[in-house]
Amino acid sequence: MAKKAKGKKPTFFADPQVDKLMAIVMALAGEVSVLRERLDTVERLAENKGLLSRQEIEAYRPNPQAAEEREQWRTEYVRRVLRVVREELEAVERGETTPESYEAAIQAVSS
Amino acid sequence: MIYEQTQHDLLPHATHDEQARQNFVQSLKVHLATSVSPGNKAVYEKRAKPRFERENKRVPQDRHDVRRVMKDEPYYQTWSALLRTSQEMMWDSVATSVERQLPALIERAKRNGKTSGSLTLNPSMPIPAYHTAVDIHCQPGAYHTETTTDDVAAGAIYDRAVHVYAMGRLGPMNDDLGASLAAYVKHQYPNFRPHKILDMGCSVGHSTIPYVDTYPEAEVYAIEIGAPMLRYAHARAEVLGKPVHFSQQNAEHTNFADGSFDLIVSHILLHETSSTAIRNIIRECYRLLKPGGMMFHVEVPQYHGMDPYDSFILDWDTYNNNEPFWGTLHDMDLVELATSGGFAQKNVIQTAIPSAFKTARSRTGLFQGGDFGGGGEWFVFGAVK
Repeated sequence: MAKKAKGKKPTFFADPQVDKLMAIVMALAGEVSVLRERLDTVERLAENKGLLSRQEIEAYRPNPQAAEEREQWRTEYVRRVLRVVREELEAVERGETTPESYEAAIQAVSS
Repeated sequence: MIYEQTQHDLLPHATHDEQARQNFVQSLKVHLATSVSPGNKAVYEKRAKPRFERENKRVPQDRHDVRRVMKDEPYYQTWSALLRTSQEMMWDSVATSVERQLPALIERAKRNGKTSGSLTLNPSMPIPAYHTAVDIHCQPGAYHTETTTDDVAAGAIYDRAVHVYAMGRLGPMNDDLGASLAAYVKHQYPNFRPHKILDMGCSVGHSTIPYVDTYPEAEVYAIEIGAPMLRYAHARAEVLGKPVHFSQQNAEHTNFADGSFDLIVSHILLHETSSTAIRNIIRECYRLLKPGGMMFHVEVPQYHGMDPYDSFILDWDTYNNNEPFWGTLHDMDLVELATSGGFAQKNVIQTAIPSAFKTARSRTGLFQGGDFGGGGEWFVFGAVK
């Protein structure tokens, strides 16, 4: 079955790569929504079976160790999501922001 | 607000994740229609229009002027990219679900029906160029493509996707276009008793069924160019217990005899044709109608007399959703079109009719790209022979 509709796809941004990025971001947003619905189903089924109540979930307060582990996870998560921003800064710090700087590296190993 | 679609026996089943994916697309579309798209007007009034006036020393005259100046506005670009993405995600979320269960759907479609309806396919009928040039409204494979024997995929995809596309506002059976027009005809012509009715470009017959219900004594015929649509439409009508005679025919030239029908209808068919085809279709309607018979075609409003911005925002699909004839149709002089097909000028009808699905929520009261059914009314073009 064909996946793409026949006909040239329009682009809207000055750089068509941004259009592509938008589509990828929205696909991810869609999958987050799919996961959220599945989790919601799990919670409701678990509640129906008396395994837990959703009030228990709402009332849950992590103990200090759990809170610390969660904080570590969130820190790592944010770092992963914003990886490109951190790497941009590292590149500035190392002076590797121009194409010439990389071409120099090619020259260095090729000559 | 998510509307449930009636899970009739032909409608593809969705797994938990497939359903959630389709729900997301629908929620995204509602958000774009209600909260993002209307902002384009402010962007136009406050930024784009003054910029156009500065650069051109005149006000924007038409939808083309507005489009040229809006295409550089970042807000419009973002909305457009999101809307196009929602359309592609919609087809993908439904098509992957249908592909997974296609053999079972094909078997279900083959079951003998209970009614006196029929299905006549014509594999040698050429698919018109205006349906093969691009895949209309971005449905991969459009109405006609078949990839396996007795294929019903295009129909199954369409039935489910139309519900997502219209955000449920065509009702649980997707029948609002037909139900609205049937109610209008019944109300407007209470003594009209059609014996034979034809629905042109019926796709999955979702708009056809209301005529069976409104005129139970009439024979109802429906034609369509796509075989996978027709197989699905016939099986769908059968499981619903509604007798309809489906056949694979091009509305430009059918095999029905002169004067066969009392009532000919179409629902969002005309904008998916061409300048040549639409004239052939209107002429064919005239040929097929009995004297005193009537044709009615449901669409969204024409651009004539519309504010340039409003026609621009309603015209989005022409350029961005594989609807190449949308804009040309909405600029056409329909009185001239009808008279060129044989109808008398005084017998031409152009009117707005209310949606039959009055309880629909999330309506914007607007006619804008990506907000199908948001206006709460439909435009009808018709004529009496």
